[in-house]
Order: sequence, then structure tokens, then C-alpha cells
Amino acid sequence: MSDYKAVVIGGSAGSFAVVLKMLANLKPTFDLPIIICMHRLKHIRSGLVESLNVKSSKEVIEPYDKQRIEKGLIYLAPSNYHMFIEFDGTISLSTEDMNNQSRPSIDYTLSSAADAYRDKCIGIILTGANKDGAKGLKDISDKGGFTIVQDPKTADVPTMPKAALEVMKPNLILSPEQITDYLNKL
Amino acid sequence: MDAKEFLVQMKSRTGYDFCDYSSLSITRRLEKICEENGATYEQLLSKLVADKVLLAKVVEDITVNTTELFRDPEVWISLYKTMYQRLPASGPITFWHIGCSVGLETYSSLILLKEVGVLDRVRAFGTDLNPRVINVAKLGRYAYKFNSHFIKNFDEVMKNIGSSSKFEDYFDIDEKADTITVKPFLSAVPKFMQQNLVQDKVPFPYKVDVVFVRNVLIYFNDALQAKVMQMINTKMYDEGMLVLGKQELIPNRYSGQYKQLGFYHKRM
Repeated sequence: MSDYKAVVIGGSAGSFAVVLKMLANLKPTFDLPIIICMHRLKHIRSGLVESLNVKSSKEVIEPYDKQRIEKGLIYLAPSNYHMFIEFDGTISLSTEDMNNQSRPSIDYTLSSAADAYRDKCIGIILTGANKDGAKGLKDISDKGGFTIVQDPKTADVPTMPKAALEVMKPNLILSPEQITDYLNKL
Repeated sequence: MDAKEFLVQMKSRTGYDFCDYSSLSITRRLEKICEENGATYEQLLSKLVADKVLLAKVVEDITVNTTELFRDPEVWISLYKTMYQRLPASGPITFWHIGCSVGLETYSSLILLKEVGVLDRVRAFGTDLNPRVINVAKLGRYAYKFNSHFIKNFDEVMKNIGSSSKFEDYFDIDEKADTITVKPFLSAVPKFMQQNLVQDKVPFPYKVDVVFVRNVLIYFNDALQAKVMQMINTKMYDEGMLVLGKQELIPNRYSGQYKQLGFYHKRM
């Protein structure tokens, strides 16, 4: 596999179905850690990780603070916490104020991944209803990481991918199926 | 000057000691503060020494005060059905809320204690580094606007514990003044006190049955986490119970001394 260290994905409205399908179709040998930051609807606090686990061929976990990032696992930002990737390869959580009206904030997760992994990370922005994540994806791109934006034409709610495209030029603009194919060919 | 050096200088020149905060996360927050103030670490330091108001604001920004009534309702519902049913059957029951912020979690717990029917036996202490939040906690008064989720969380918890209690049983809402105020019978119970975990002793004499330290240890390095765990262990009864944040674990060195039971940890 490539010398990437992780795949970091951000999404909001509509992204649950996309992520679900993506995880179901990833080839079993795909072993980069996947770190997902998804906004959740206020009234759905729990159950997300369980639903993802039903379909995913890999284990999906909501990490504890200071948990080590390992190959072959999928990390989902827990509700009501910001999730950061640290230089020492661990995840840290924080309950500080919302960012872009969101906690977890995709910008925080992606920007921390840009700092920690620099050009060794793949950042992906999916469908969503606000602009959180745009700055974070730009940070990944600025550090030489590989960036993918879901084609707004294929997005349930195109606001988030469009916001990313306004501030940066990703390596690829793809449909959800193409994103999965791309990852499977790494 | 880097963040580490800044914190050492801040300690010696302002008395605020954040040297043992988790370095990556505090560096991140300090960089944000510098950016917002358009200042380097050196410039920020000189401003802090000269400007008490700015110092208070920076302390506020470094420490995280986010909290809400019945934050993570599923946790409180589970605690009600488990931990709150296993409290000492007689005599005083002592609660300590570490890093209590504006007191909403202390009041959440007191509401459940009232629901369990033991409120008259409860001593509750809330401690925090930040004097501003301690004063808000003592008043028990919060903005009404933007806090409608308090009522939603409250209703969700009451529904799931089979209680018919109403929000108005515990709070006075004044829409005109934009306030939610804890009713006097409840706000009279807890004692809120300033405590700096780095240097101060525990500011009350009693041993404690239950300690809440939710989303506090995540901001500390290993050394300060150990210090706080030591402080907790010294104050806590042998059968004591500890509640951490939803995504926190007992720090490694102490994990053998506690048994996790759902959302709380029982001392062994």
C-alpha cells in the first residue's frame, strides 16, 4: 500500500449514507486508519457507531481520549467532542466551544491531521449543509496531502463540498463510488 | 519563545500555572489566543502582566468551561438506574464535582438525588480554578435563550427514569429577563469553591462518596492526571464511585484500582 498514514473524512447532512456505503465496499485488505468526523443531528446522539459497524468490514470505534491510532481501524468522532490527531499518533478529545456551530468540528480534525501527517494523509470532504471542513481540507492540501471533494452534483446537500471548492483546489472531485474505488486502488 | 517557555513565564509572572496541561492541546489554544490578539508569545506575556482583564480572559480561553444541564442524557439516565441506587443507605452522602464550571453538572446530580429521595442527606461541593464560573454556579442563574436544550435534556432524563417532575419544579424561567434560575431549595445545597488543582489542597474537610471529574483530565499531562487521581483517592471512601467524561478512561497507573460499571467506576 501507499506511504499514506491515514484517511481523514469530514461530512455532514447526507454523509451518513455515503460513509456507510463506502465502508461496506472497502476491500478487506485496506488497512490505513480511517478517521471520520461527521456532524450529527442533535437528537441522534448514539447508535451511529453501531449502525456503521453492522455494514463495515472493519471495526468502527468512538475513540477514548489519548487512544492510539492503529492500522485497520476506523475512528468516528464521538458526539459532543472535538477530535484531534496528535503528533504522537494518538487521538485527543476536547469539549471546548463549538466551531462553525459544530462539535465535533471537521476543521479541527482535518487541520490537526494536516499538522500531524503533512503530505502523508488523504483528506476527503463529503456532502453537508455548512462550511465546516473547508479550511481543514485546505490545510491538508497546503501541507502537501492528497485531497478529494465529493462532486457537488452527487451530494445530498452540496454546501459543504462547494465551500471547500471555493477555498482550495482538490486533487480530485469524485462521486462517492469513485472515492471508494480510488481508496481500493491505493 | 515557544508555548512551553510562555507557560513557565506565565506561571512565575502571573501565578497561573498551566505547565502541566496536555502540551499539544494547550499549545493549540495558545496559538489561537496569540492569533486573535495579533501578538507573539513575548507580546502576549507583557500584555498579560499589565492587564488584569486580559489575563482573566486568557485564563478563560485556556480553561474549557463548556457544560450543560444533563450533558449526554444517556449517561445520566444510566447513572440514575445504577450509581444513584447504590449510595450509602444512611448518614451523609458527599459529592465532589471537580472542574465544576458554572455548576450545571452539580445541579444535574442534585436533581437526581432529589428524585432518588436522598437530597436531605447530601453534601455537595463544586470546585473550579476560575472565580468567574464559581460565582455563576453560586447564583445558579443562566441565560434562557440559547439554552433550550437544558429543558430538552431534562425532559429526556425524567421521561426515561419514569419521573413526572417538571422543569419548573427545579427552575424558575423568566423569559423577559432571559434567565433560568435554580430554585432556592436546590441552590442552597451545594458549596462552590475556587480550587487550583495544581497547587491548592481540597478546600473542604469531608471524605467523599462520589467524585465527578468529567472532561477535566483530558486537558492534563500524565503528571497532573496522576496528581489529581492521588488527590481523589486520598479524599474518597474505599467504596467510593468516580464518574469521568463519556470518552475518558481511568489513567493507566490507577486503572487497577477501579472497576468500570457502565458510566461510572467503583473503587476496589
